Amino acid sequence: MALIKRAQCATLRKPTALAILVSALGMIAPAFAELTSLSDNDLSEVDGAGIGLVFEDFVFSHEHDPSEDKVFRINGIKDSSGSDVQVNVSQIYVARAGSNYGANLEGVNLGRLTNPYEIDLVDGNDIGLSNKTVLEFAAPTKVDAALGYDCLDPSAAAGSGTCSSRPASVGFENGERPDLGIELEINALGQNTTNLNVHAKSAVFDGSYLRLWGDDDRMAGAFQLNFYTPELEISTCDKQNEACGSSIKMRDFQLELALGQTFQPLYFGVDEVSGGLTLEIAKITHEYVNNISASGLSDGSAGGDEAYAFFEDYYTNPEYRSNIYVGELEIGGTSLGSAKIEGMQIQYLDVKLRDLAP
Amino acid sequence: MMRSLVALVFLAFISFVVRAELASIDDSELADVTGQSGVYLSGEVSINENGGPLANGYFGDCADATKVCGARISVQTEQNGGWFVLDNIRGSIAFEGLTFQIREINSGFGGDGALFNAQVVEIGLPGTLRFDDFEYTLATSSTERPDDPGFQQVEIMGVEMSGDVTLEGNLLIFPTP
Repeated sequence: MALIKRAQCATLRKPTALAILVSALGMIAPAFAELTSLSDNDLSEVDGAGIGLVFEDFVFSHEHDPSEDKVFRINGIKDSSGSDVQVNVSQIYVARAGSNYGANLEGVNLGRLTNPYEIDLVDGNDIGLSNKTVLEFAAPTKVDAALGYDCLDPSAAAGSGTCSSRPASVGFENGERPDLGIELEINALGQNTTNLNVHAKSAVFDGSYLRLWGDDDRMAGAFQLNFYTPELEISTCDKQNEACGSSIKMRDFQLELALGQTFQPLYFGVDEVSGGLTLEIAKITHEYVNNISASGLSDGSAGGDEAYAFFEDYYTNPEYRSNIYVGELEIGGTSLGSAKIEGMQIQYLDVKLRDLAP
Repeated sequence: MMRSLVALVFLAFISFVVRAELASIDDSELADVTGQSGVYLSGEVSINENGGPLANGYFGDCADATKVCGARISVQTEQNGGWFVLDNIRGSIAFEGLTFQIREINSGFGGDGALFNAQVVEIGLPGTLRFDDFEYTLATSSTERPDDPGFQQVEIMGVEMSGDVTLEGNLLIFPTP
């Protein structure tokens, strides 16, 4: 059979063979080209449209209730004697403001169509990170005070503040500020059951973001967490009596936490020997730090002036600082007035977690 | 004559390449594209309920209380560093009524709809997710796999879930400028 085929091929006329050859040239021809990696500089040119995310009529809820075959349990925690501590999540919820500790679960919107939660690739050159591409997860941004809403007031009107998310109102029942809560039931061996509950009313996260990028051989990040609520309550009440008096209420609570900057990133990783979590913010420095004199001023050189301007901005720019404000602190029904931690700057951080178990 | 005919028939079966430039489609052209009205999904995902494919000193059958039988996902954020781990993932999740569709929004949303006036991808959440003996452990580890030399793991916490979880609403996805 093979001999017959060879004979047939040998007798093909030249024009026929030529036609086949020409046709073959028209067949799919693979292209051989080397795949080349993209450098940070190449990637920094990438700045595509982001992805906007809005939750509409959103409700999330779960609870630990064995009578309804519902289990929600956190384990792996041990007491000082090494016995297991069982933590049941009595309830966790995200719902419309006015939920009454999660009893009335109605839908809430999270994010606005005109200012949504967003996943984006940001050109690092736009945020002071030279030739890097930055992956950003962001909550709705802050807006001009003439257009925004007060971040705390659950009945705020337009033009009252810098938050974009709107409170629930008669004309817009959902609102964009959810009630959040988690109730924990803690069972330790030989001890009475205790409860720990955290509830936040009409919460706002506007201006928060997490930015991630590659820095040499590890992942670096900048984290800004803004959290505003007209009332943050921490209590030890049981589920049947959620409004008991054993509580700390922080009214008009504002948290603005800044961890890491583009020039002083937060590194988070795992120790390759102990397996423990590591968090690190390196000491702040500058290329011309030695051109700053002992008096703290520039030595007059161009480098010294540059370094001085850099540190001046670092120590005065409010964006690099963390703040906690409590309009009114109430413990067990007694008001202790307001409290404030303002202008806190994390200049160095080196945290390593280790397992205490042998 | 016969050989020419054979060659002609042979040529008829050869694939010819059509060479045409790929042209980009802008947002306005894409806006004219409409597909089917949507998709309705129901299903159940079961992960390592009885154990995974590995059997060694660490992984094994779920009936063996001395072994871990769930799946393991390890992620590294530093070259030559340790690993973030989602360990012992097992159990099942069932849902009904997860929907996907394209939706045009030009009203509602407290007045934002009229300003937005565009199409979005709408993922309709199922209302209820049913977990059945679902569990996982958050941990950090010195090595990718438990049977690698020098393995050390710090377990931060484990989570067990069963029963109905309320998950209602719509997730709207759209491009931003």
